[in-house]
Amino acid sequence: MTSDENADGNAEPDRLTPAAEPMFELPPELAIDTAVARRVMVGFIRNQLHQAGFERALVGLSGGIDSALVVYLVSEALGAEKLLCVLMPYRTSSAESVDHARLVTDELGCASEIVDISPMVDGYFGRDGELGAGGAAAREASQLRRGNVMARQRMSVLYDRSVLWGGLVVGTGNKTESLIGYTTLFGDSACAFNPIGDLYKSQVRQVAAAMGVPEEIIRKAPSADLWPGQTDEAEAGFTYPELDRLLFWMIDKRRTDEELVAMGFPVVAIERVKRLVAASEFKRQVPPVAKLGPRTTGVDYLYPRRRPGSARP
Amino acid sequence: MQPLRIALAQLAPRLGGLEENLARHRALLAEARTGGARLVVFPELGLTGYQLQDLAAEVAMRHDDPRLLRLAAETGGLSAVVSFVEEADDHRLFISAALLEDGDVQFVHRKLFLPTYGLFDERRFFAAGDKLRATGSNLGVRLGIGVCEDFWHMAVAETLALDGAEVLINVSSSPGRDLAAIHEVGLGTAASWRTLMRTYAQLTTCFVVFCNRVGTDETITFWGGSEVIGPSGDAIFTAPLFDEGLHFVDIELGDVRRQRIGLPLLRDERPELHLRELRRILAERTDMALDQASEAPAGRESPDRGEAPDRWAAQDDEAPPDRWAALGGQAAPDGRTGRDPNAIPNRWTVSGGNDAGR
Repeated sequence: MTSDENADGNAEPDRLTPAAEPMFELPPELAIDTAVARRVMVGFIRNQLHQAGFERALVGLSGGIDSALVVYLVSEALGAEKLLCVLMPYRTSSAESVDHARLVTDELGCASEIVDISPMVDGYFGRDGELGAGGAAAREASQLRRGNVMARQRMSVLYDRSVLWGGLVVGTGNKTESLIGYTTLFGDSACAFNPIGDLYKSQVRQVAAAMGVPEEIIRKAPSADLWPGQTDEAEAGFTYPELDRLLFWMIDKRRTDEELVAMGFPVVAIERVKRLVAASEFKRQVPPVAKLGPRTTGVDYLYPRRRPGSARP
Repeated sequence: MQPLRIALAQLAPRLGGLEENLARHRALLAEARTGGARLVVFPELGLTGYQLQDLAAEVAMRHDDPRLLRLAAETGGLSAVVSFVEEADDHRLFISAALLEDGDVQFVHRKLFLPTYGLFDERRFFAAGDKLRATGSNLGVRLGIGVCEDFWHMAVAETLALDGAEVLINVSSSPGRDLAAIHEVGLGTAASWRTLMRTYAQLTTCFVVFCNRVGTDETITFWGGSEVIGPSGDAIFTAPLFDEGLHFVDIELGDVRRQRIGLPLLRDERPELHLRELRRILAERTDMALDQASEAPAGRESPDRGEAPDRWAAQDDEAPPDRWAALGGQAAPDGRTGRDPNAIPNRWTVSGGNDAGR
């Protein structure tokens, strides 16, 4: 608790050490009690595994703040020895990403392994003029298509490794990227459960600071690392604190467009974000099933995911 | 007067694990007895877990289910409030809280208000109870039992207090949410509940016993923080957030009298005024003349299909098993010859006053 609160101090304009640059900007309305959040997320992780009959978990650790925080949370929930971190770089991934992932696994002492996804991705798109399995249609693929295939290869590796490790895949997507749809369907969003999916990026940073995630990971510009030099904020055209604030007032606090404008949010930002949210609704839901029979899963057959009998024997 | 020792069983039930939860209740009852408790309170749906959805029908029990009676059999010398999915004779499912004493089910309260908004979907799976009344107990004091959302409606605590309750008991499965640093203990839900429970205690001059579960069902984490609040509105005990535990709290029942002599709010309540204005408001809402506005005018009600078919319902030849009239030296209305005034669906229309024996 005490360490939480000390670490939280970094999130606020630094009164104690005015010389130090704050690690990140935290809009005041998004500030949470990190001890409570941590407690809820850790309990959630334990419960999800317990009810499913598992004791172990694995996480795709990118070197970014989201997966780093999840690794800290899982480690606290289960103990580091129950956790496997899988690093899955592509040949153009930043070397810094692997270094940062190593900082985390060294600090916590959890198992880790590297699976280089380059041959898998190149095997489809081709390389150096050679056609891959995807043929000519894949050779000239856009960065978006390549990024999506990379994310899905990582998912595929993670789920295969989950069998070997005997654990469940823990999700690492945050609320901001989920709401604007900045995720790959069945790629980075695929998981057994997600402890941080209701935290905005700014709140991920706040909890990460409180839990002692290495500072260089918290400070660096968030990136999907799908191509060199990519950053989320450049791609989205927003900074995370701006975007988080807007989403918070728009969605959590149900403010109308007129009210948002009166609060000082630019009309173009409001319109753009609303469009992103509406256009990505499909990514946040289970695919619809045509209703035909008397009882249809997800419609009028509604059971908890986990109940007596649902755990792995 | 000897203090009354209450045990708050702030537990994390297993979702859908009826047998496991029954065993846990039995163990905690034994532990509470060893600890000297006379009243043991378990949280809402402590026997089944909360987020049941279609599982509700599979874990439902009648109030005379042998499994529930087996649990009741272990209450010798104890009063226990336990909560479960109750299936009525007509197969409606209720979220119920039962008072177990002397090896039997003495009283059942069926949750009146089923939240179906935000993260809640209770009305899809459950029927709402129709009766609100305090009950006598072996503790020498009348109890007013409500389930979670029941206490988000002001009339509930007031009605129970007017019906003679001196200890209000709320059993809850309150999902923790609205995390924000600005809230007391960082949790919007906890801040709201604390405000409400203290306010009820203060305004009704009753003890308030709040037992909230912990643990996680699916996405929802329950926050605990069970409390006992004195009739002045001051918290006597607050359990930790999120942790399981059996907590013992001693209360002086004499505090109710002291408070009510010094601060006679309950004496000064004006239920007849409230009733009159409520009838006017209802009449205006429905564009009806005042005398048509009451839903079941006295003397005109037909056999009520909506009335619970359980043994506490209006069966003219059977006295209600709760000893609601035993206090205050007045005789209970004779269930064999007279109608239990409590069983008249709209007792307010009879006299406007509380003529139940208390």
